[in-house]
Amino acid sequence: MTLRNNGLYIDRLSMNFGGVVVFEDISIEAPPSKVTACIGPNGAGKTTIINIVCGVFPPRAGKVYIDGVQLSGVRPFNTVRYGLCRSFQDVRIFPSLTAIENVLVAMPNHLSGLFLPGGWRQERANRERARHLLQAVALESAAERAAGELPFGQQKLLSLVRAIATGARVLLLDEPAAGLESDLIPHVVDLIRSLVKAEGRATFLVEHNIELVRQVADQICVLQAGRIIASGDVRRVLDDQTVIREYLGQVYNV
Amino acid sequence: MEHLLYIGTLIAVWTIVALAANLVIGYTGMMSMGQAAYLGVGAYVTATLNILLGVNFYLALLIGSIITAVVGAITLLPLLRIGGFYFALATLGINFVFFDFFHNLAPRVEGSEGLYGLQLPDLLASSAPRFATTVAVAIACALLCQAIVTSPLGRALRATRDRPDALAALGKDPRRYQVLIWTFAAGLTGLAGGLYAATLFYIDPTLFTLDASILVLVYIGVGGLASTTGSVLGVILLIAFNESLRFLGLPSQFVGPFQQAIYGLLLILLMIFRRRGLVGKYDFTE
Amino acid sequence: MTILLQVLSTGVGLAGYYALIAVGFALIFGTLRIFHVAHGTVFMIAGYAFFSLHRLLGVNVFASAVVGVFCAVVAGLAIDKIVYGPVLRRGGGMFAVFIASLGAALIVEAGFLAWSKGVVSVARTGMLDTFIVGGVAFRAFDFVIFAFVAAAFGALYLWLHRTSTGLEVRGLTDNAYLAAVVGVNVRRTRYAIFLIASALAGLAGVLVAYDTGLEPSIGFKMLFIGVVAVILGGVRNILLGTVVGATCLGVLTAFAGFLFPEWNSFTIFLIMIVLIIIRPQGILG
Repeated sequence: MTLRNNGLYIDRLSMNFGGVVVFEDISIEAPPSKVTACIGPNGAGKTTIINIVCGVFPPRAGKVYIDGVQLSGVRPFNTVRYGLCRSFQDVRIFPSLTAIENVLVAMPNHLSGLFLPGGWRQERANRERARHLLQAVALESAAERAAGELPFGQQKLLSLVRAIATGARVLLLDEPAAGLESDLIPHVVDLIRSLVKAEGRATFLVEHNIELVRQVADQICVLQAGRIIASGDVRRVLDDQTVIREYLGQVYNV
Repeated sequence: MEHLLYIGTLIAVWTIVALAANLVIGYTGMMSMGQAAYLGVGAYVTATLNILLGVNFYLALLIGSIITAVVGAITLLPLLRIGGFYFALATLGINFVFFDFFHNLAPRVEGSEGLYGLQLPDLLASSAPRFATTVAVAIACALLCQAIVTSPLGRALRATRDRPDALAALGKDPRRYQVLIWTFAAGLTGLAGGLYAATLFYIDPTLFTLDASILVLVYIGVGGLASTTGSVLGVILLIAFNESLRFLGLPSQFVGPFQQAIYGLLLILLMIFRRRGLVGKYDFTE
Repeated sequence: MTILLQVLSTGVGLAGYYALIAVGFALIFGTLRIFHVAHGTVFMIAGYAFFSLHRLLGVNVFASAVVGVFCAVVAGLAIDKIVYGPVLRRGGGMFAVFIASLGAALIVEAGFLAWSKGVVSVARTGMLDTFIVGGVAFRAFDFVIFAFVAAAFGALYLWLHRTSTGLEVRGLTDNAYLAAVVGVNVRRTRYAIFLIASALAGLAGVLVAYDTGLEPSIGFKMLFIGVVAVILGGVRNILLGTVVGATCLGVLTAFAGFLFPEWNSFTIFLIMIVLIIIRPQGILG
């Protein structure tokens, strides 16, 4: 399958903590230029998938591939070199750095302003790109403010922008809409659509906000009780009666 | 006048120490309570090379600085894996470990506890040129430190201080920056050590104890963390204050304890009311 | 072989003092996460008070000792109230408290420096009895120390396991946050902890003042020895951990003192650093 050579491919992953099985034998494909969402109840193991892919801990079984290259035993700070970057649910921006500095420090060649002959030019180019990214989430006016002073919603947007700034071709977003006021969610949608998909990245996102998923995702998998109970095109899955019954509930108005 | 020049030279030397300490403590968030050890290494290496081996002082200074940087890196590497508080405790232990080294292994002049007899070049031999030279070096160091902290590297250092885990997640190993800045700061401190030896003419192990490391913390704590101006300010204010105590007319045995009591009080007041210091830009809440 | 035993006996003798200091420190650090550097100062205050009363003013040994311990308790509680309280209330974390503690210790040590001018002050007169068993010299006073330590630890055990405050303290050691949530009266427990820890340090101060004498820097020295003993033994089981840590350290320092007499501090702190790197939770942790 040619798709396996691009984007993120999770191959028969199994994980347990002690005696508790988190998930068993799950496979997910997140191809480039598409957004693959993973939904499921709390504790189903969605963040664990991200942690495993990023090398925080190894799976009990299974493999992870980025653009056809297997990741195993890769330390978390090396994953970016493989083209992978994640965002955190609890944000984790650098509070004493300004918003633009947060984005700058994420860039792959952010130190070249110091050493290389063309260094200053690189730094200027970086700043241009950083401003462009901040503009995409309406944070340009806050560029020189300390990130720790920004309200949570803006910090969250900043952390997403920061992950994108790393240039990673595969993005893992851990609940990008969690805790955001509803008027900021369109920014997340725009961000994902314009910067992520348009630039050909593969995105794997874990979410509870079904509306967001419906707006940005191309395909979706539903994780429950350690297994993927449904996967495929987002519209088809979300309309599926089993999914609605098991996870979305009768109340969900499609 | 002699004395004023002497104090001025000391201020310049300690400013270099404070600048280096602020780089690692204020900007990179690595609480080092053992900077005095590096000062001692620099002083002893420089003095030993110059006095016992007849090495030209400038060369001795350079070598001393490099060796101190290496020692700094070696002492840091095993500690990299431990976090905040225990790291500080370990660096505190370094003071005592090095003190015994100096006390037992470092060369000394026959019949005394310390080392003296430096052969200083013209620029450092008498008090006025020495003052001018050390001040020039201090200014150069200040400019260098300022350049570093305003550069992209400074950004990376502050990110390392704030959230090393997030920095790692962005593909940059925080330990690399930690080792880099620590080694550089140790080298700078070693340089200050050599100049310190030149200023005092006589060095012995008791100059490089936990007390001295705490003194450095007080200097940058008062002046302000993560601020080049703060490092300079803290040193000037406190040394000047120290000197002014002589005019109080206290009996000589009380002067030392009084200074110590003031420093202790300053530390407490800083921790209660203003952890960021006078002009500092970082308030640690750990 | 006799030398070995001699060193061991010295070590165990030292361990007694270390245990008294260490257990108080462990109590405070293990429950409140306060790195009470000034614990060594409290120790010193008791010692100097005892020395002044008994040696300089001729007051009876026991009365002086009681006053000494009392001074230690007052000092310990005062430091917590005047220094740690304000730091914590204004958002200071563990590290800020540590620095403030250092400040307090510096102030008090400065006082002693000014007062005694660095002279060692011993409170007793005449030599202490020693008796020789199998070629190894034992000091009679070591048995006195041992008796006190045993009594103190016994009382501490009873307090921790038989009283409600003791139960609360053990709860705090396990999980301070949870303890506060279930309604442990942290303030009252805190008083009790500082009171008992300071009393123990005070007892150690009196004993040391009587036995080997004091000098202004001994506060810091004893404190760090206590710290290393606590790191060695871990804070999970305060009593057992301290005994284990203090004994190991006592024996280690006795050997180090015998083999490398000039490297005392070096040995102790090298041990501390190595421990911090490889096993900060201690032997029992």
